[in-house]
Amino acid sequence: MSVDHRAAAVAAPGTDPSVLAHVVGGLARPRHGPGRLLAACRDVDDPCEVPAAMAAVVGALDASERAAAGRLLAAWQDAGVRVALLGDAGYPHRLVAPWPSVAPPVLLAWRGQPPSDSPAVAIVGARNASTYGADVAAWIADAVGPPAGARVVSGGAVGVDAAAHHASLASPGGTTVVLGCGHQVSYPRPHARTGGLFDQVVASAGTVCSELLPYEPPRPGAVRARNRVVAGLADVVVVVEGGTHSGSLLTASAAAEWGRTVLAVPGDVRAPGSQAPHRLLAEGAAPCTGPADVLDALGAEAAPTVNESARADELAADGPLRVIADAWPRAIPLDELAARADRPVGEVLAIVGRAELDGRVVRDGHAVRLVRSSGDTTHGS
Amino acid sequence: MTSARIARARSATVIGVDAHEVVIECVRTRGLPALRIVGLPDAAVREAGDRVRTAVQQCGLDWPRDRIVLNLAPADLPKGGSAFDLAIACAVLAASGQVPADALDGVVLVGELGLDASVQPAATALTVARGLARSTASTPTRLLVATQTAHQLGCIDRVDAVGVDHLREVVELLRGARVRRPVKRHPPRRRVGDDDLADVRGQPVARRAIEIAAAGGHHVLLSGPNGTGKSMLARRVRGLLPDLDDAAAVDVAAIRAAAGLANSTDTIDVTPPLREVHPPTTAAALVGGGSGIPQPGDMTLAHHGVLVLDELGEFRRAVLDTLRQPLETAQVHLGRGRHHVTYACRVLLAATTNRCPCGRRGDPARACRCRPDELERYRSRLSEPLRDRIDLHVDVQPVDLSAHTSDGEPTAVVAARVAVAREHAAQRWGRGRLVRDATRDELSRAVGQHARARAQHAAKALGLSARGLDRIVRVARTIADVEGESTVGPTHVDEAVQYRAFGAM
Repeated sequence: MSVDHRAAAVAAPGTDPSVLAHVVGGLARPRHGPGRLLAACRDVDDPCEVPAAMAAVVGALDASERAAAGRLLAAWQDAGVRVALLGDAGYPHRLVAPWPSVAPPVLLAWRGQPPSDSPAVAIVGARNASTYGADVAAWIADAVGPPAGARVVSGGAVGVDAAAHHASLASPGGTTVVLGCGHQVSYPRPHARTGGLFDQVVASAGTVCSELLPYEPPRPGAVRARNRVVAGLADVVVVVEGGTHSGSLLTASAAAEWGRTVLAVPGDVRAPGSQAPHRLLAEGAAPCTGPADVLDALGAEAAPTVNESARADELAADGPLRVIADAWPRAIPLDELAARADRPVGEVLAIVGRAELDGRVVRDGHAVRLVRSSGDTTHGS
Repeated sequence: MTSARIARARSATVIGVDAHEVVIECVRTRGLPALRIVGLPDAAVREAGDRVRTAVQQCGLDWPRDRIVLNLAPADLPKGGSAFDLAIACAVLAASGQVPADALDGVVLVGELGLDASVQPAATALTVARGLARSTASTPTRLLVATQTAHQLGCIDRVDAVGVDHLREVVELLRGARVRRPVKRHPPRRRVGDDDLADVRGQPVARRAIEIAAAGGHHVLLSGPNGTGKSMLARRVRGLLPDLDDAAAVDVAAIRAAAGLANSTDTIDVTPPLREVHPPTTAAALVGGGSGIPQPGDMTLAHHGVLVLDELGEFRRAVLDTLRQPLETAQVHLGRGRHHVTYACRVLLAATTNRCPCGRRGDPARACRCRPDELERYRSRLSEPLRDRIDLHVDVQPVDLSAHTSDGEPTAVVAARVAVAREHAAQRWGRGRLVRDATRDELSRAVGQHARARAQHAAKALGLSARGLDRIVRVARTIADVEGESTVGPTHVDEAVQYRAFGAM
């Protein structure tokens, strides 16, 4: 029985929203008291019995709790958010499989496509990403797409997360964003606004999901818990950049608990953003020297041939786009582009603007990077 | 006792940049010889008595041996300064029959008298002339001022300015014993030179943006790491603006006078003002204030010119938010005690900012060490509504000196293109009007259906607000003007899309 049906069964009007949040929070929140749903499931040894245990708890709810839960689910549905409880049919199996060594989220609420069990690579790293970090994230995200058939999973933050999602928007499997707050909280603001990254992800067959109630703010604990979901939803975790206290270290340790492979991208030894990946390398993470390493870890067949000719023909007419394509996966600063393209700067900007509206390039601050469409192949190294 | 004869002379006082007519009424009554001035005079006006009496006697004229009462009407308007001397002298002379009383009809006198009876320039002369020109009188008013100030009044239409050097000359003029010297219609003009744009290496995108800003009067924000030449570029925006026309130059001079800044007495300064403001400023210094009559702030002092806000992220948010209403309406309203003053502030805002507190963010060669919460705090200083009022957002990158060896165009070349672009806007909407000033209706008539549809498509694809759409349409119109195209094409819209904010500051 899906949660949606249960919602219809228990919905009753007039419940105070704060009571509602309290009740459902008490049922679900793993970090604040055991949570009755979670506590019920703890006693179960076999993942196959989880649905039955959950159903028992839900069945034992009193009338006011049912009403509260129903209202909450209805609010979610109005906002286009669908919900699956642990054990429901829509709940990704990969989160339940390592049961009971890891506690999976009690619920998952998502917009767009349901969270899937298909192969996925988590690309995580610093919000304060360097150009290098953003470029590498985009490079890997792009490479694990169509040829390898894997999706990208990451948080919803700016920096490495955003670079990875932007690069895989055009990928047929879409990309998966795991929020560190509820769906109704606008965070981070540039991504959550109308037409921002999250809307784009939903529009391009991706998933934006969260384990939290709609109005929960992005508290540090919630963001840490989010990282554990990111690791859980992926087969391979790639840490691109991060400082000494980076959240990506938590993602990496969660990945170890889930039994996922962890790769770390080496960086400039002098840069503060290299501390987290270098520490992981010292602790035994596999080095990621390019998309091929990620594909190896995935067990996917890498497509080593570089076939840029079709793309080159398409771009030949547009000088500046040719320059952007050649720079890939580096994002090329607009000033450098204008100097290289040898055309009036207004004309160059107009071409970039057109390409951006067509989804062929993305702006990353002052720089612009090619978006490689699904027909492209990866670089071998 | 017969009723005493009252003589009247006209002068004016200035509050802010507005001139208010003051009529000086003079009456001789019996009593011990004395001079009494009423009508809220300040100390400088009260001292006028001694200056005027000595000056009148210096000319060989008689100072009446009566009790003289002078009323400065309207009596409830506070009056200050020494500019009433000339009018007081003439009122006394008319009351004692030494100049014909009707000769003072239709004449406004503004000037200070020296003890030797010389007429000295008054700081308010130009503001008074500006006020007279704006009044609805059918015939031009004659304005008697010191010769030094009379020169610059030659650029104000509808005022018949007469320059005088000495009180004796004034008396002869009023008696009709002398022909007045007309003021030259075209006084010399002065333009202060600026640093040249050729000094800036590289930065093609930022250069293009400030050219568009100057052409359309758009506000521009340059953001990027330390040492990329953001401030250099912002300061050079003024050089791209054309000379002020006469009316604008007079506005600027009147504002400078209100702020107590020295005006040149012999030339008209047609340089658009440039005010540079740095973070440790206050709201009062920025938009105006102070006790007594509110003084104009930097916002107003940059009227018709460029306001450079350096390091926007370091300003206190409360200070920045005072800019919102003035930027929207191009006016500052200030109320202090009994005085309410409105100053114009039609400025081009050229702001610069780092992208993080340490100033390294966005620099590929140096890593930023700011924590995310520090970044968030820094960014929140620039509120969304203020950000929304800025049409052109440009990220500036450090210049790779080896890669950009070619020097950019000098100011003169770019300024010539800006002038042509502004001329296109003026032909569409009238003299002095820019794309920024166009109303929504005017703008929609000047932008074709195709371009508008493309802009709407862009706004939808990029998730822009209605204000964001308007901004793109406006910037596209200016780009078309810069390119010399009468219609806005899709490429202009495509380019305009690139000057928007990208999450980072």
